[in-house]
Formats: sequence, structure tokens, C-alpha cells
Amino acid sequence: MATAHLIAVGSSPLGKTDLPGRDLFSRAIAEAFEGLPDPADVVDGLYVGAQSERYENQIMQGTLMAEWAGLRNVPAERVEACAAAGALALKNAVRDVRAGVHDAVLACGVEKMTAGGTEGATNALGAAFERALEQRSGITAPATYALLARRYLHETDATERDLARIAVKNHRNAASNPRAMFQQAVDVETVMDAPDVAPPLKLYDCAPVTDGAAAVVVANDEVAADLQRRHDAVHVAGVGSAANNLAVAERDLTFVEGANVAASTAYEDADVDAADIDVAEVHDAFTVCEALLAEAAEFAPKGRGIETVEDPGDRSAGWTDVQINTSGGLKARGHPIGATGLLQAIEAYEQLTDRAGERQVADANTALLINEGGVADAHTVAHVLTHND
Amino acid sequence: MTDTDSTTTGPLAPEDITAESPFTLPGFFDALAAGRLMAARCTECETHLLPPRPACYNCGSRAVTLSEQPRTGEVVSYTSVKRPPSAFEHLAPITVAVVELDSSARLTGRVTASLESVAIGDRVELRVCDPETVDIDPEFNLSYEEEWPVHVFDRL
Ligand SMILES: [Zn+2]
Repeated sequence: MATAHLIAVGSSPLGKTDLPGRDLFSRAIAEAFEGLPDPADVVDGLYVGAQSERYENQIMQGTLMAEWAGLRNVPAERVEACAAAGALALKNAVRDVRAGVHDAVLACGVEKMTAGGTEGATNALGAAFERALEQRSGITAPATYALLARRYLHETDATERDLARIAVKNHRNAASNPRAMFQQAVDVETVMDAPDVAPPLKLYDCAPVTDGAAAVVVANDEVAADLQRRHDAVHVAGVGSAANNLAVAERDLTFVEGANVAASTAYEDADVDAADIDVAEVHDAFTVCEALLAEAAEFAPKGRGIETVEDPGDRSAGWTDVQINTSGGLKARGHPIGATGLLQAIEAYEQLTDRAGERQVADANTALLINEGGVADAHTVAHVLTHND
Repeated sequence: MTDTDSTTTGPLAPEDITAESPFTLPGFFDALAAGRLMAARCTECETHLLPPRPACYNCGSRAVTLSEQPRTGEVVSYTSVKRPPSAFEHLAPITVAVVELDSSARLTGRVTASLESVAIGDRVELRVCDPETVDIDPEFNLSYEEEWPVHVFDRL
């Protein structure tokens, strides 16, 4: 099996922008290929993660993005698993390179979420939920996650203030991330006093509606050696994914089992344990997700995931030393749905190559990415990334 | 109410999967309109599947049977939707809950009570509404959904 390296990354500005999806993609590609030959001379195919065609009334994003990157007559496919679409693009690119199907593949993601206003985004996201009983009951994304949060607060010692501290931590991290949508810190009182969205979740418990695109070039040994200094390379050591039920009612509301399976599979593939992970980007679409995923990734004992905000030395016994969502997470870096899984990979790439500036975690060598779609772990994709040294 | 299991147990034959069978959505909603809430029950691991489907997500078995469900159960979790999808705007704020029926089957539904008056563990009862009385924007419905009833939970 060939090794799949990440050799270049790029992203567009994140937030509400005046650029349509394809132009956001162009920005991400322009950054990723700075100093490299043209995409057509590097990659043999493309996967693009895109949650919904409703935003811009456009399917066939594979073909369109390939065109905009100057690729012709190559496999170019859109992949979809709601918010896990970006990591699914990465997973497929890694699979192709590992299997020797392609020498290099472009994994990218794009979402123009503001194109239809708040109502357009609500309706597009709503399609991710089970239709017959749940959509027809009028639920929304915040409401489904609020059902998880309410139960989590009921079963554990965690409080709404603990969830607020997760938002505060992620805003603080985003403040030193030049890619982030929100680059200002917030305090706990601001989070606690913000309007309700779906109780117990308030405005700052929720990731924003974001426009954005991201791209990652995945390549085998030969292409990686040709295009970059080897001491600077990151490779994908492990991959895992799993689907859980679509209906939230049929899920364990306080244990994201699908995410646990995906992470465990990725650990096994990489031959590492949870304790080996130095930095993790986990899918904090809502603050409670960060706590649930810290537990599912086996960083934290059950019910103590909220200690993600504490310095490693101050956490309960059974916690690892991992630093979670150094990018600011979905919460504060931004959450352009189809691009999010790649934005997680970009943060890991920057951490593992010592490019993370003020938010750099010392001696970061191994990273875990968890990208989820649907309600929580309806679909989860996990990757373990490791520095080549 | 106790489960009333059907005599047939899967795997379903192709000819069993028709719009008259509660193993399909049209058959499930026809039964619901007639006052019967149906789930599938896995005969291997006892998991309830609501709406009914041909295979058990818990153990993989296709040895499933139909089982009429009790209407009563309790709130497992709940919240309020302040800004629902546009078709439901007139109902806002919507209290929604995950309810575990007395059979252990679970489903999500609207609760006809304010957020403040609901708590985890509250007893609720399922009620079936004619779609026209709920007044969901007809544009929301797919062609085959137009006649399907809508369920709600009332506090007991
Ligand atoms: Zn079973």
C-alpha cells in the first residue's frame, strides 16, 4: 500500500463573502498551488465535498471544480454526507493514492451557505434529517443538537456554563488563526447572556452559517518527494468511517457510537492509541459535540468531555494531554459545511509542520480529525495524520 | 396496551413490500391515519424500528415482525425550535421531544405544550392529526405525503 501524503493546502476567506462557490474554490486552489506546477501537472483526479445543491442550484460540482482547476478528462466527483462531505473527499483521495489508482488527487470542499439567506440555509440543512417523522415535526439543526445537549446535561454533572466555556475556548483559539471567520475572543457572560436558539443551546453554542472552500493535495511518495522538502511532509496514517442511524430518536443521545467506531478504526489503521494524539480537530458544530467527541475519541472519561477547555494538567484522571480545536473549531473558525473536513485537515497540517504561529502546540506530531454529518454521528469520517519524521 | 405482533416474520418477500404494508411509508401512514401506530420488532434482539423497516439496525437480522405500539411514553429529551423551517413558521416556537414509548420504541415529535411546562421523564400520549388541521404549507409536502397524518404528543 502506498503512503498518502498531504503536500499542499489552501482555503478561501471564511464568512459571508461576495464570491460564489466556484470563486471561493478558485481562492483555495490558488493558495494550495502557490509555488507548485499547475494542478493538471500534479493531480489525476478530484473529489469535492458539497453538502447541498440547494444553495446555488448546482449539482455536478465535480465537473465544475475540475474545470475551474484546469483539469480535463479526469475522474471528478462530488461526494455528500452532509457536514462530513469534506472528510469524505479526503478519505476517497487517500484511498485512491494508497491503492495506487492515482499518484495524486485533489480533495476539496465548498459551500456557499449564505446564497439563500437564513431561510435557505435552514431548509438546505433540514434535508439532512430523517424526513418521515423528524422533518415533518419541524425540527432544525440546532434543535436536534439541543436534544443531545439537554440529555447530556441531564445525565452528567455538566452545566450550560460548561458548554459556554467550550465556545469561549474556541473563540480564543480562533483569535490567533488568520483563516478564522471570528478572530475575537468572547467571555463566558457574553455566551451565557446570548439569545436562545434551541434551549439549552444559545447563539454562541452554534457554529455560524459560513461561505468557504478548502483544498488539500494528496500524493504518493514519488510526487511528494518531487514537489516538496520531505522533512516538511505530513501523511495520512489512519482512516475510519461509520454511519449510525439517521433519526436522532433512535440514537444513544449521550454516546456518539458511530464517531467512536470511526475514531477507533482510524487509530487501528494508524497503529496508535488515543493517548498518542497531540492535537485534534473535532466537529463542534454545537458546543456539546466537542464534549461528546472528546469522549468518543477516548480522550476523556465518560461524562467529562467538557474538560476539553482545561489545560492538560488540570483535567480529571483518565484524560489525555490532547489539545482540541486549536483552529477555533467549527464554532469560531467557521463551518462552510462541505469544506469543514478539509479545514480540519489544514489546521492539522499547519500544527504538524510547525506553521500554526501563536496557536502552535509544542511537539505536535500526531493529529486526529473527526468530521460528522447529519445529526452528530449519522455519518462520521476520522483521519489520523502524522508528521513524516 | 401490549404489542400485537403479526403472524408473519421476515425476511420479507418482494411481494410483501407494497404500499399496503406498514413496512413501507404509505402503509405505515395509512395505519396511523386509522389509529394504529406500527413499529417493526426484531425477533432476534427485540429492538423496535419506528417506522417499520425490513432489517434491524441493531443486529442486522431481517427476522422482523410488525408490532402495534402503545400511545403513551415519556420524554427522553426536549427543546424548542424558535425559527423552524418556513413551512412550520406559524407553529413557532415548536416544542419538540424524543419520546420513548412504553414498548421502548422511540420517536421524535412535537409536544403541544410550552417549553417551560415540559421536563425529562414527563408522561405524554401520541395523538394523530389530519394534515389539514396542522396547516403545514402544502408546498412542503412531496406528492405522496399530502394525505399523511401528522403526529403530536400531548402531556398527560
Ligand atoms: Zn435485532
